[in-house]
Order: sequence, then C-alpha cells, then structure tokens
Amino acid sequence: MSIKLLLEKANVPGIISYEVYRREGGYASVEKALRNMTPDQVTDEVKKSGLRGRGGAGFPTGLKWSFLAKPDGVPRHLVCNADESEPGTFKDRYLMEFLPHLLIEGLIVSSFALGSHHTYIYIRGEYAWIPDILEKAIAEAKENGWLGKNILGTGFDCEIYVHRGAGAYICGEETALIESLEGKRGNPRIKPPFPAIKGVWDRPTVVNNVESLAAVVPIINYGAEAYAKIGIGKSTGTKLISACGNINKPGVYEIDMTISVEDFIYSDEYCGGIAHGKKLKACIPGGSSVPILPANLLLKTAKGEKRLMNYESLADGGFATGSSMGSGGFIVLDEDQCVVKHTMTLSRFYRHESCGQCSPCREGTGWMEKILKNIEYGKGKMSDIDLLWDIQRRIEGNTICPLGDAAAWPVAAAIRHFRDEFEWHIRYPEEAQQRNFGLAHYADPLPAPQSA
Amino acid sequence: MAEEKKLLKVTIDNITIEVEPGTSILQAARRIGGDVAPPAMCYYTKLKGSGGKCRTCLVEVAAGSVADPRPMPKLVASCRTNVMDGMVVKNITSEKVIDARNGVVEFLLINHPLDCPICDQAGECHLQDLSYEHGKEGTRYEFPRRTFEKHDLGPYIQLHMTRCIMCFRCVYAADQLTEKRQHGILDRGDHAEIATYIQQSLEHDFIGNVIDVCPVGALTDKTFRFKNRVWFLKPVQAHRDCTHPKCCGKVTLWYRGEEVFRVTARKDQWGEVEDWICNECRFEKKKTADWEIEGPTVVNRHSVISQGHYVGVHKPKEVLYDVLDGLKPRLFMDIHSVSEVNEPGRDLSRIEGPAHSTDFKE
Amino acid sequence: MKFSEDTLKKVAEVIARYPEGKSKSALLPVLHMAQDEFGGWLSPATMDYVAGLLNLEPIEVYEVATFYSMYNLKPVGKYIFEVCQTGPCMLNGSDRIIDYIKAKLQIGVGETTQDGLFTLKTVECLGACGYAPMMQMGKNYREHLTKEKVDAIIEECRQNAALNN
Repeated sequence: MSIKLLLEKANVPGIISYEVYRREGGYASVEKALRNMTPDQVTDEVKKSGLRGRGGAGFPTGLKWSFLAKPDGVPRHLVCNADESEPGTFKDRYLMEFLPHLLIEGLIVSSFALGSHHTYIYIRGEYAWIPDILEKAIAEAKENGWLGKNILGTGFDCEIYVHRGAGAYICGEETALIESLEGKRGNPRIKPPFPAIKGVWDRPTVVNNVESLAAVVPIINYGAEAYAKIGIGKSTGTKLISACGNINKPGVYEIDMTISVEDFIYSDEYCGGIAHGKKLKACIPGGSSVPILPANLLLKTAKGEKRLMNYESLADGGFATGSSMGSGGFIVLDEDQCVVKHTMTLSRFYRHESCGQCSPCREGTGWMEKILKNIEYGKGKMSDIDLLWDIQRRIEGNTICPLGDAAAWPVAAAIRHFRDEFEWHIRYPEEAQQRNFGLAHYADPLPAPQSA
Repeated sequence: MAEEKKLLKVTIDNITIEVEPGTSILQAARRIGGDVAPPAMCYYTKLKGSGGKCRTCLVEVAAGSVADPRPMPKLVASCRTNVMDGMVVKNITSEKVIDARNGVVEFLLINHPLDCPICDQAGECHLQDLSYEHGKEGTRYEFPRRTFEKHDLGPYIQLHMTRCIMCFRCVYAADQLTEKRQHGILDRGDHAEIATYIQQSLEHDFIGNVIDVCPVGALTDKTFRFKNRVWFLKPVQAHRDCTHPKCCGKVTLWYRGEEVFRVTARKDQWGEVEDWICNECRFEKKKTADWEIEGPTVVNRHSVISQGHYVGVHKPKEVLYDVLDGLKPRLFMDIHSVSEVNEPGRDLSRIEGPAHSTDFKE
Repeated sequence: MKFSEDTLKKVAEVIARYPEGKSKSALLPVLHMAQDEFGGWLSPATMDYVAGLLNLEPIEVYEVATFYSMYNLKPVGKYIFEVCQTGPCMLNGSDRIIDYIKAKLQIGVGETTQDGLFTLKTVECLGACGYAPMMQMGKNYREHLTKEKVDAIIEECRQNAALNN
C-alpha cells in the first residue's frame, strides 16, 4: 500500500459528517495555521512542499499564491475551481462527495494564507447534488467555529460560498470561471491582466483546483518537508488519478508518484488490468487534452526506461514520444477500441465546448470534427489526414485560452502515433464499418534506442 | 513642472520608434504605418475592451524587453499586448506570423458565404482585403457552410449573420454608445450569433454606429441596401448642426451624380470612425441641402473606391522611362484605338446610375 | 410570473453572497431556480422576469442562458435523459445505450415523447467516466447503465409520474 494523504480516511464510515471528520483529526491544520503561523508562513510552506496545481497545468501552487497582489483596502478572493470537466477526470467529484470537510479545511487554511474573507467554490452545474453536501459541510464548520467571524479567536473572518455553474467545460479555465462567477458568459479573458492582479470583480484573485486546495491540509499537518519527501523530483506529494476506460477497476486512486504506469494498470491495488482479459492498446494518461500514447510508448519511454506515473516521466520525450500528467484523468483503450472514433468523440467534445470567442478555435474545432466524422464513417480521403494535421497545427498556440491547444493535441497525437489506423479507415472504408483496426503493432516492443 | 514621461523604444520589423508607456504593439506599428501595421478585425481603438479575439493581428515577440530579453513563447495579439522598453517585434518579417495569419484567414473564411458580388460591404470590407492578401484561391473546406435563422433588426440595420466573424465590436458599441443594449452574442462556439433573442428592432438613436464598426457585411445600412456599389460613389466630407448632444454632425456623404446614397461617419486610414454620428444624420438626412459640403474625401489610392472618381486628379509620374534609361518601350498595340469602351477621356464618374454599354456608344 | 416567497428569500440570500452592486453574479444560480420553478425550461418571459429581479437588461440574461448547456430554452419532458457520449463513455458502450433508449421510447435525440414524459439528449462529458456508461436525470446521475437498468429507470419514472398525477 502506498502512502495516502488525501484519501487516508475516505473509507471511515460517516467521514462525510463533521463529528466523524473531527474525531479523525480533521481541522487540525486550521488550528495549526491560524494559531501558530502567519499567512506568509503558510504560503512559504506550500511553496516549499513543491505542490503543483492539480487541475492540469501543473503550475506550482505556492508560487501562484505569491503572485497575488495585495493592495490596501481592496478585498482579495480565493476561488476553488471545482468545474472538473476534462473527459476522464472525476477525482474532484470524489473528494467533494465523500470528503467534503477535507476541502473546506483546505479552503480555510488557504483563505487565511491569501487573506480571502469571501471564498467561493465554483462547481460545475452538472454536479447538481454536490452543492448540498458542501453547503452542509460549510454550515457544520461554521457552527463549530471554523468559519465566520473571528475564527478561533484569531481575528480572521472567512465565509465560503458555493457557486454552481450551468454546463460549460470552458469555465474550468480560470478567467472564464471568473467571468462565469460574475454572472457572465464563460468567455476567457485576454491576459494580461492576470487574475492575481485583476480577477473576480477586478479584485486580486487566486483560482486553485479542488485537489490542490485539499492537499494544503496534509502539507500543513505534516510539514512541507515531509510532504516534499514523498514522490520524485518535482513531482512531490501524492496525486489523485481517476482511472477509466477498459479496465477492471475504474475509480479514483491516490498514488505517490514513484509507481510505474505498468504497475498502475495491472496491479490489483489500482486498475486491476485490462477488462475482459484483453490487451492494452493505448492510453490517455492525463485527461482528454493530453496526447494519447500507444501501449509500447506508454509503458516505456523512447529511451527504453520504465515510465512512471509522475509529471516528468509521463512528459518524457516531449509531445513526440511522451504525454503529460495533466489532470490525472487516466483513459485506457483496449485492443478492440478504435482510435479514430475515440478521437472523433473528443473533437466533438471540444467543438461543443468552444466558447466561440476567437476564430481558430471556433472554426477549427468544428472543421476537425467534421473531417474525423468523414473518416470514421467511411467517407475520408487520404489528404484529410494531412489537412487535419494542418488545422490542429494552426489552432495550437494561436488562441486566447488553452482550449485551442487542448483541442489540437489529441488530434495531433492520434495522427502521430496511429496514422496507419487512420489510413486503414480511408483505404478500407467498408471494412472499417464492420470491424476495428485492432491492436496491430501498437504494443510491440520498440527498437532499442541507437546511441550516436 | 510636468513630469517627463519616459518613452519606450520598440523595434517592429527592424524599424525602431519611441512610444509612450501603455501603447500597444498594434498602435506602435500603426505609428510606423504601411505594411508593418498588422491587420485588425476585432480591435477598435474607440471601443473599450475590444480586441484579442480575431487573432489576425498576431505578432512574434522576439525579445520581450531590455529587462527580460527572452522571446515570448507564443505569438501574441498585438492589439492587446503593450510595448515594453527594448521590445523586438516581428510582424511581416516573421514566417511564423504569416503562416498563423494565413491560418486565421482560412478559419474566418471557411464558413463565410463569399457572397461579395451581392454584398453591400464589398469594396470596403476588411475581410475582403485580408483574403486578398492572405487567402488562397481555393478552399479546403468541403462541408456545407453554416447558416442561421433570419433575424430582422428593424428598418435601419440589415443583419447577415452568415457573414459575421464574431468580432464583438457591435456589442461593445451598443454597450458604450447606447444606454440600453438590445442585441448581444447568443449561443456559443461555432453557433454563436449576434441577435436579439426575441426578434425586435434596434431602436436606439445612436445604434446606427454598429454599421460603421462592423468589419464585414454582417451589419449594413438598410436604407442603402442594394442601391449601389460603393466604388461607383463619390465620398464627400460634410457637416451639419446636429442637435443630438452626442452626435458630432461630421459625416461622409456618398454621392452618385446629385443624389446622396448614404451617410456614414468619417473614417481614418485604419477604417475606424473619427467620431460617432446619430441615426438622424445617418438615415434621415439624404439631401445635399441638409449639409454644409466641405469637399471631397481623401481616399487611399489603393482602395477600389478611388477608382475613376475625380476628374483632373494628379497622376503619379510615369517612372518607366527613367528605369529604362530614357528608352521608350515598344508599343505593341494602343488599346484605346481598338476598344469601344476604354476610350480616352471617358469619365465613368460622369455617368448617372449604373453604366451600360449604350453609355459608351454616344 | 413570480417566484414563491421561499424562492424569493433564497434569491435574496444568494445575492447577499456577492459584493454590493455585483448582483449579476447571482444570475447563474437564479436561472437554475427559475428553471426548476417555472416548468423545467426558461421561456422568454421567465428570463425577462429574472432580468427584472437582478436589475439587468434582458439581453444580458439571454446571452448567459444561451451560453450554458444546462438551461433549456424550449419546453422539455418531465424526465430528461442526458446520456454522455464522450470518449470514456463511448469506450464503454454509450452508443448502444443511446440506441436502446431511442428504440424503446420511439424518439430521436433532442425529442420528447408524445406523452410529454421523456426527453432524450446526448451530452458531453459529465465527469463520471469511471462509472460509464451514464446519464444525468434531473439532479442526479444514473451510472453503469445497462439495457435492464434503462428499463428499470423508465418504469420508475412512469410510476412516479402516475403517482404524482
């Protein structure tokens, strides 16, 4: 069993209630931080822990906090990004649904560090039953003196509110989220100014993912040093992985980032192997936006080393032969799955979720979806593959927000690694309607790297 | 003593100028002028918050500033990125920029109806200019183009949603020029549209300005619809004592013969209005008697509108003889001697109404 | 058209969560309440009412309501089956579930049954990828769908509808 920091108590019966959570040692980090530390000390501790944003970008959380402008007389806000919408990702939902007090605890400590007296949880609209859970936890915390005025007699005031979205993936982008929190369309803002200077209602704002904020609790409880000792290199602490697709045991797992991808997929502690005794064909290891990898490149890097479940190892080889940790949405495809069709569903997703504000994303996502549909349904042309490549290339990096990149990367990676499957679809359109390309050579061992 | 502002040095396409702090790359480039100025389809100087969306003005920042000379990793929207001291920018000298811009133009065109032959904006359309410079002759888009339900905006403004490029300018204009915005962006993604939701006419007495800010033919003047092509019209500067408190009363009248076909605000060399005008000036005052005429509008000679308008314009010096060192090129055929149309001395602007072949047989 | 007293109290509570003068922030939550209270969809009249309540121009409400996928702008059935069809659900057979519901209810995607009971919609990722295939029905998720489960859900809805009539 690996170390668990977030889900340690997840299976304690009744942990959703305040009594049990408190009895199990909950809210200790609030006592420690508010009584014995200054806000800057908390920020320093988070910095030292090496915690990287768990929402997908992996930006160091402590560093982000240190950018927050603190002009006199202007309120600042912490906003918790619970708009979890990246296909393959459902870890924040698990935390909020089963360990609501852990998030509230993390929010109180983080609000204290940032000086946020009104903190908001922006939760995706579809998680319609979770605001009730969170609001109950907030009420319980308030009843017991962890929220409200003069918390623990320290003079620190804090209120937490839940703000429910209404169905828009783009609101996971922090400036779109801020717009949405202001009651507007979720159009990402053009940066600069960054939220740390001018965020919600033009006030300095920090937006952090649910898991990042929950991780503040063990960081304060055990200390930054102990936290940073877990993991490897710049992948410190533990990470929640939501595993799905064709595996025996889909679900949310907490890993320390030293475990190999192979162990994660095949060990009984985690995914329990590929469902129905089938073979692994491909995997998207960090949510739908990150590059898909064929089995051989997933388990081993191009250098022939075992690939590990951490930020550096998953990204090893760049986008040519690597992928990314992303949000931790681990999507597994077995040998019977069609990469073309899968890519088509992702393109449909991004077209559906594009806000429509900037031209490359608005027009390009729909164009890619249409071409992929043609290829999938036997109407593709060979030139379509290069056209797709050209379209994604011209979206990537040229849009206001990262949704453009997120839409481009899955298409690029699918063509990069599975071009022959696309060609097969085009060459044998009728056969492609009857069966899938299958495993082909995608799990074959890679040739040993040549040394110069 | 006024504090002296420190000017910032910026180099764009190898040309260095000094600008005030807070100047955007686009404005600095416009200061240099010519091809160095990136195209801008959504940015509009007078509209606060505009810009950043169309991505046609993307430029490469090869060096961020003196303090941090690292290049910026991605192309940036020049309209929304401010100049830093020592910044080095590449616009038309960057292959990356040209490639990205070609891409953006392709994206803008895939769902555009390309109905220029029947579009009132033709001849003064920024998308036309952009496609001319960056577009390809064919399209790689093989799907039906996007269509929308028709939406009537009342007696003054014609909406052609299929031509819209979602620049948001008209929304900013309505927000900033009128007290009550009635239209906006509805839906999202590739089906986002400009509309009022419940069909209603746009009534505000300053709303006509959305026509002038629209870079394409999505919002056109209904009182001018299908009346004439802009290149057959002669623009003339005029003004009147308008009683509307916000209206400047300074306009351009567009004549054909003695008739005023339309009234617009005056525009600068970047196609942006110099000052806003009210609906009454724009839609109701179409008689010469309503106006004090100032004189012909200066039209950029590259514009199609400058074609054949004025009698006795100064022709640029013929440089061919100089280049050929005094030698005269051999004339194979004098086209005027064989053409029945292009007779010398025939002035198209003197013809009333559309030209017919009979006009040339007089 | 007017919210019940209880809802109006709730609206005031929600507005108070945001800084003074920023009541527009309450728009998303209030639209949710309006949709719940006024027949499961946002008619133009409903949106105008919300605009008045929050001191907004109607167009500001239309812009927002049409942006977010959870607001219904047309009347819908009593029960809406919103079946996820994105990657992870597709890998686990969401297509078959959608086809089954279509055949069983005799409606296409986006349509409502004649008795006004069911509307079928396809949606994009709802964050239940590990429990695929799945759909949203009202406030809750129905996960690990099979044909049998779909049958049971339809039966459950019919019974509930009969009870409440």
